Amino acid sequence: MQAITGDREDRSVPDRAPAEACAIRTVGLTKSYRHPWTGKVVSGLEALDLEVSRGEVMGYLGPNGAGKTTTLKLLTGLLKPTRGEAWVMGESIARVESRRRLGFLPEQPYFYEYLNGIELLELTGRLSGLTAQDAHGRARRWLGRVGLGARPQLVLRKYSKGMLQRLGLAAALLHEPELLILDEPMSGLDPFGRRDVRDLILEQRERGTTVLFSSHILPDVETLCDRVAIVLNGRLSRVATVGELVSGSRQRVEIRCTGVPRGEIAPDLRHVLERRDHAHETVFLLDDDSRLNHVIGLLIHAGALVRAVTPQRASLEDLFLAAAGAAADRTEARDEQRRSA
Amino acid sequence: MMVGVIARNTFREATRDRVLAGVVIAGVVLIVSTQALGPLALGEGTRLTVDLGLSAISLLGLLIVLLVGTSLVAKEIERRTIYNLLSRPIGRPAYLIGKWLGLTSALWVVAAALGLALWTVLAVSGHAGQALVVLEAAYLASLELAVITALAVLFSALSTPVLSALYTLGAYCVGQWSWDLREFAHQFPAPLGAVLGAASNLVPNLPLFNMRALAAHGESASPAHLVIATAYAAVYCGSLLALAAAAFESRDFK
Amino acid sequence: MLLGALPPRVARMAGAWGVAIVLGCAAYQLADLAARHVPRPHPLEELSYYPSGEKLSLATLGHSDSFADLAWLRAVQYYGEHRRSDMKFTRLHHVFDILTSLSPRFIPAYVFGSFALAQEGADFAHAEALMLKGLEANPTSGRLAFELGFLYYVRPGGRDLPRAAQYFEQAARLPDGPPLSRRFAAYVRQNAGDFIVARALWRDVAETSGNRYLREMAEREIRKIDQARATGRAELAQKRLSTPTVVIRPVR
Repeated sequence: MQAITGDREDRSVPDRAPAEACAIRTVGLTKSYRHPWTGKVVSGLEALDLEVSRGEVMGYLGPNGAGKTTTLKLLTGLLKPTRGEAWVMGESIARVESRRRLGFLPEQPYFYEYLNGIELLELTGRLSGLTAQDAHGRARRWLGRVGLGARPQLVLRKYSKGMLQRLGLAAALLHEPELLILDEPMSGLDPFGRRDVRDLILEQRERGTTVLFSSHILPDVETLCDRVAIVLNGRLSRVATVGELVSGSRQRVEIRCTGVPRGEIAPDLRHVLERRDHAHETVFLLDDDSRLNHVIGLLIHAGALVRAVTPQRASLEDLFLAAAGAAADRTEARDEQRRSA
Repeated sequence: MMVGVIARNTFREATRDRVLAGVVIAGVVLIVSTQALGPLALGEGTRLTVDLGLSAISLLGLLIVLLVGTSLVAKEIERRTIYNLLSRPIGRPAYLIGKWLGLTSALWVVAAALGLALWTVLAVSGHAGQALVVLEAAYLASLELAVITALAVLFSALSTPVLSALYTLGAYCVGQWSWDLREFAHQFPAPLGAVLGAASNLVPNLPLFNMRALAAHGESASPAHLVIATAYAAVYCGSLLALAAAAFESRDFK
Repeated sequence: MLLGALPPRVARMAGAWGVAIVLGCAAYQLADLAARHVPRPHPLEELSYYPSGEKLSLATLGHSDSFADLAWLRAVQYYGEHRRSDMKFTRLHHVFDILTSLSPRFIPAYVFGSFALAQEGADFAHAEALMLKGLEANPTSGRLAFELGFLYYVRPGGRDLPRAAQYFEQAARLPDGPPLSRRFAAYVRQNAGDFIVARALWRDVAETSGNRYLREMAEREIRKIDQARATGRAELAQKRLSTPTVVIRPVR
């Protein structure tokens, strides 16, 4: 799978509908907003080139306002692109048919308060092309599947936020879509709820459903996703597997000791070793694990008792923040270049 | 099929709204209470009942459109319930037509209920022979409500619930004056007069659906009147809904 | 074909605009057709004569008949209140003017209003104007024509026999004119001294009435007219009619 960065300038993408291997494909997808009075243009998404293969689970990360929800709404027809094209399950997003094999869970789903759970799922099922009978049968099944089957006649006005989230998932999955697009599916859920959603996503992956979901809860993304796309300031920053993102970094090691004498760290280790003194122990954080043996040797020689050595794998959050910092640096450098040109 | 699904759901939404039930009850009470005014009317009690009853159908229907219809689309956008609909394989025109059809059906049920109440009151007071006249007048009132609902859908697709209620009420008032506008046009010289005349044909010609004056005197509408009114309602509603669809097509739901 | 060459979204918008324009044109033509073939709820030239009525009618937004009904209730109450108390009816004309502007086809309002104005209101000028307004709005109303004829016949201070006869004859010609219109016309013509017309009217009654008594009465009047003409003594055929005055009995 080829990693695509936002920096790539030449784009030799043919201007035609993509092969069936792609569940989602975007070419230069852009969304900008023009203020009606001032005429000022604000960019929501800039030239997105992204491919999501069939059957894969892709995480879509970015800080608030980065363009995640904009992307998902463009793909589901709620926003009209300013430029560029996209295809969902082989159909252009400009066509209504592109949404036939798609299931979408918006962020903080809102439903008709006057309906009960069964009625809402029947409605969404019918709108997704199911027959009345089919919709009714599946509505009952899915209501139970997401843990809301005990009170099917309860009106949505009385649902909690978590219940609405679960109902939204059921509405997205009812018609057995081939592609699931989820915007913050874990939001509003307690740990049990998040576990259930994780299980659902895994179950869908087993079925061969393609899943694209945005999330702030990075541990979930790490455990669920095949690949992760990071979007910053409306531009795609990086796409890679979680393993690629994490394994490429150096590993940190935590060393817990007691009886460490006071003193300064050797000059050659100062840039990789950090010391933290606590009441009953001293903790050393070593950035470069290749120098672990050397450091342990020094500590033992100094009379310290080494209690524990724990590798600290760089988390996706760290990489995400690093990528965000790097992207900001790149943007600043580019702007600087433009100004001096 | 999608139009039918949306229409059924909108009908369900309208009929579960307490406003509708309240309005129907108020209408029935009003119609029945016209009988109390009969002795004061110096023999014109029947005329009074027919007039007020038909006015009730029309005005209470307008009230429902302003309270419920103008937020049909606008409130869905505000509350974001529209995300769950338009992210499915349903075209935006189908959505709007379904909304219009659903509320219009609910209004026709209201008009039928109040029309039946009116006829019952007339029958009890010995004027059962007015049935055809009441039926025609209620039919024309229903067509008027269909046109007003189409206006409400158009404004609701473009604006907020409050503004679309105001625009709909404004269009209703202008529509009631359309034939007066045509008469005024004759009094002005050519360019302005032509513009006013054209405007009078473009605004909704609501007096076309008003046969209250005839009904109060027990007179029937001519077949030509009924045919023209039906055709006009159909094409005018179609035009408004097509305009709404064109405007809605480019709308973003942030 | 042309739409197929456009991007789907643009094609949908263009299609919707096209449908809106075509149907809008059809609606435009139908509105024009309707204006020519469908009767107006109320004529504008009627309203332009009474500014207050016109403004009110526009404000009722098509519900002028319902407002007229409420005004009728008010008018009847107004009449009753003042009939039982001070016998002052200064606003009676205004109330009936509004009422009949709102609902020009409300025949009883013209009749009641005119006679109330002429009698209790002592305002024959406005009574006459109200009834003439009614006839202008309802030119085919035989009932109104008859009532106007009667109004002239009982005019306080002096009967207007020629006008009374004119309107009785008009009523007789109209389909919904009361059956007695013709003989009232004959009677009034006779007492006005217009024996030729009166005789013709009585002849008509004698030949067409289904009531034997009326036919005999008509024949008697014809003989009286013939005798008056033969002798040159008009008083043989004319009655001495009293001068009408307004007699208002108190309401208990």
